[in-house]
Amino acid sequence: MHSLKVRFIAVFAAVACLLWLLGLGWAVKDYLIGADSVPGLPVAGDEPQPVLKAYKIVALGDSLTRGTGDSEGKGYAGYVGDLLKQDGMDVSLVNLGIKGLTSAQMTEQLKQKEVHRQIGQADIVLMTIGGNDLFDGGQTLSNLTPENLASLGDGFLANLKSVLTAVRAANGRAVVYVLGLYDPFRDLESGDRTSSAVRSWNYKMTEVLSGYSNTVFVPTYDLFQQNTADYLFTDHFHPNEKGYRLMAGRLAALITGGGGRP
Amino acid sequence: MISLVQNELMKLLGKRRFMIIAAIIVVLLSLFTYAQSRQSEAVKERLGDVDWRTELQQRIVDWQNRLSSAGQWKDQLQIQIQQYQYYLDHDVNPSEPGAPTFIRGFVENSAELFLPLLVMIVAVDLVSSERSMGTIKLLLTRPVSRFKVLLSKYIALILSVSLIIFLFGLLSFLISAVMFGNQGWSAPVLTGFSVQGGELNIAGVRLVSQSRYILQQFGLAWFISLVVGTLSFMLSILMRSSAAGMGTMLACLISGAILSSMVSSWESAKYLFMVNLGLMDYMSGSAPPVEGMTLGFSLAVLAVWMLGALAVSFTVFMRKDIY
Amino acid sequence: MSDITLSVNGLRKVIGKRVIIKDLSFELKRGEVFGFLGPNGAGKTTTIRMLVGLIKPTAGSIRICGLDISKQFTKAMSHLGCIVENPELYPFLSGLHNLRHFAVMLSGISHERIDEVVRLVGMQDRIQDKVSTYSLGMRQRLGIAQALLGKPDVLILDEPTNGLDPSGIREMRAFIRFLAEEEGLTVLVSSHLLHEIQLMCDRVAIISKGEIIRIDTVHELLSSEERLVWRLQPEALGKSVLGGLTEILSEDEGSVTTPYSERLAGEWNRLLVEAGVRVLEMNRKLPALEDLFLELTGGEAID
Repeated sequence: MHSLKVRFIAVFAAVACLLWLLGLGWAVKDYLIGADSVPGLPVAGDEPQPVLKAYKIVALGDSLTRGTGDSEGKGYAGYVGDLLKQDGMDVSLVNLGIKGLTSAQMTEQLKQKEVHRQIGQADIVLMTIGGNDLFDGGQTLSNLTPENLASLGDGFLANLKSVLTAVRAANGRAVVYVLGLYDPFRDLESGDRTSSAVRSWNYKMTEVLSGYSNTVFVPTYDLFQQNTADYLFTDHFHPNEKGYRLMAGRLAALITGGGGRP
Repeated sequence: MISLVQNELMKLLGKRRFMIIAAIIVVLLSLFTYAQSRQSEAVKERLGDVDWRTELQQRIVDWQNRLSSAGQWKDQLQIQIQQYQYYLDHDVNPSEPGAPTFIRGFVENSAELFLPLLVMIVAVDLVSSERSMGTIKLLLTRPVSRFKVLLSKYIALILSVSLIIFLFGLLSFLISAVMFGNQGWSAPVLTGFSVQGGELNIAGVRLVSQSRYILQQFGLAWFISLVVGTLSFMLSILMRSSAAGMGTMLACLISGAILSSMVSSWESAKYLFMVNLGLMDYMSGSAPPVEGMTLGFSLAVLAVWMLGALAVSFTVFMRKDIY
Repeated sequence: MSDITLSVNGLRKVIGKRVIIKDLSFELKRGEVFGFLGPNGAGKTTTIRMLVGLIKPTAGSIRICGLDISKQFTKAMSHLGCIVENPELYPFLSGLHNLRHFAVMLSGISHERIDEVVRLVGMQDRIQDKVSTYSLGMRQRLGIAQALLGKPDVLILDEPTNGLDPSGIREMRAFIRFLAEEEGLTVLVSSHLLHEIQLMCDRVAIISKGEIIRIDTVHELLSSEERLVWRLQPEALGKSVLGGLTEILSEDEGSVTTPYSERLAGEWNRLLVEAGVRVLEMNRKLPALEDLFLELTGGEAID
């Protein structure tokens, strides 16, 4: 009585219905009753590094690397990438910065296989670290005793060493640029004391870096020394876009002018 | 009986329902595939030409940075991050480029709202349109019992749901195969994650092929759609106007989507059908709306709602006076 | 099989506390056209919907060819064809597909039978077209075609001439008479138009406020209400003589109305003449059903 089309569609729909029932049954079996014996999971191995044409930048660090305070969200790493691209380089940028990262957390991060691998592929490594160790979310400001600063500094430097060791282990040839600290609190009442703490940490960082080949300490203290407020974000801690551009300009000049160029 | 079901299908075809549904799917798919390809271009732009590990690592870091401002989504995000980290650690690409990966994501995103919506187009006026057209008077004065009339309509609904899901699968395969290439069916997917006490449990994690995963997804999507279809079918009997039925069902679905994100402290909400529509989440291993919900529980709740709706449908339909 | 095709016994419908239909009983015979007459809201539609199984009666039984529709619904319905109110068909399907759709719901309807009914209602030319392109008259004919598909014994038509033009009404009337006389169907027709019923039906039930107030053949109904209108001269004498013989129902200027009696009319005439009254005119008058209805229902208006 019905046309061929209707009959065909009815049969077809019935077949589809069976297919979906099969899928449903299979899902129920797998997820409720338990799947058949699980084959061993592969574990990421140290496969050969793929040859990348692009110039690879890996940025490690805290909120400065992430770009907190930058209206474009790029941070200094993003601007470095932009500047290098303007120079005609084919750049691949991996930004592994995490807000609030301390040096201790960074040593943990470097233990991840993939992070290890990424660094291994890098042509240069950019890094900001120490800000969260020193200021500890603002806690330090209320306890600026020399003893406290010294104990914080000792921990930080030990971590910095293991970080650099890990980076070197992953990649022996990449130039590592470590950005120094600046003092966002120099305008405050306790500005003298924070500034001196920052200066002494920066000094100790250069000391540590001197123990590793192909590492460059990039100061930022001077960049924010004058007109600090102009270069800081409204939180008076992170740089703003202008501040980040200053940092990036310095880095890009080092990379293109120095040994960074491939 | 079979020819009664064919009758119903003939009417649905006559109303061009499947054409409309296919058109909606095509439009939405084009939008999705376009968005997807734009997204991968954007990633390329930002990271350069990189392999998936780099991209995934970048995504994990991006999410870690979002954690502090995630608010109520923090737990969900945390679990996602852990899951991706697990993918990374075991060298499994969660988004192998190609049609299957796209279909997998598309089904997962469509199963709770979009597919049920399409099914509603058919289900919600299966009975009420006969009433508004007046043809129900002819239908119920034939030498066929009311039970059989309704049963044939319900079977037609089941077939339509199957057909819609098939159309959905076929169209998304065709379009995404053109856009992203037809490869990666046997690529592995990690599944079996579960969430306990806000922590990702990886005890049951196993690898399955993408094709198997997708078939299971479609099975679950079919079931979700059938449940929503059955409830719409009931409303189509209880309510005179298709629009009212559609509105009610839509309100339920949307409230379900909203509730799912905020009922974590309202324990008994887990017995509402709309909170249980996220069956896909159990496969991918996201946290359920209420702690302690499992796939089995949700399937059971949905089945009970479906059977209840069927009981109401048949009782009312067989007793109802037609004016 | 007996000659009774549809029998209704003590049919009652109560909705809430309102009694919509009060104990209807009637029987229809093979080959007759039965009229169901009443104003809108009298309960015609409710009764018809109960007859075809759309509404469940509160009490009473309905038998179609001896089969109780509440107990043997499907068997009973296979003897019945109906159009309730307008012939609503699927506008998005062709006429033929509509017929096939309903043929499937009856058992053993062949393609030949479908062609046969299509020819019967004269729809051969347009049967492949979508119903949405049909005129009301064509829809009505297609509706009849679907009602006749299963070769029913009883055909129930609710307001069959509603919305048809005069020629369509005439055609429909002839067709209904044809079905009853030639095909031996029992046809139940409802209408609020007295004229229709009068022209089409053999028997009629007058229904008002959910009750049958009268069932009779159209002929009986009319003859019991037949009148004789006299014009006499001299009027006063004639009136007094006539008044002595029978009841005077009304008098107008120059005319007097009395009941009609075939047996006595000649006698009255003779007596008048003998009394010296000239009978100018003696006119037998059939009442319109309108008058009849007004009389039976005590002045309830029909619309």
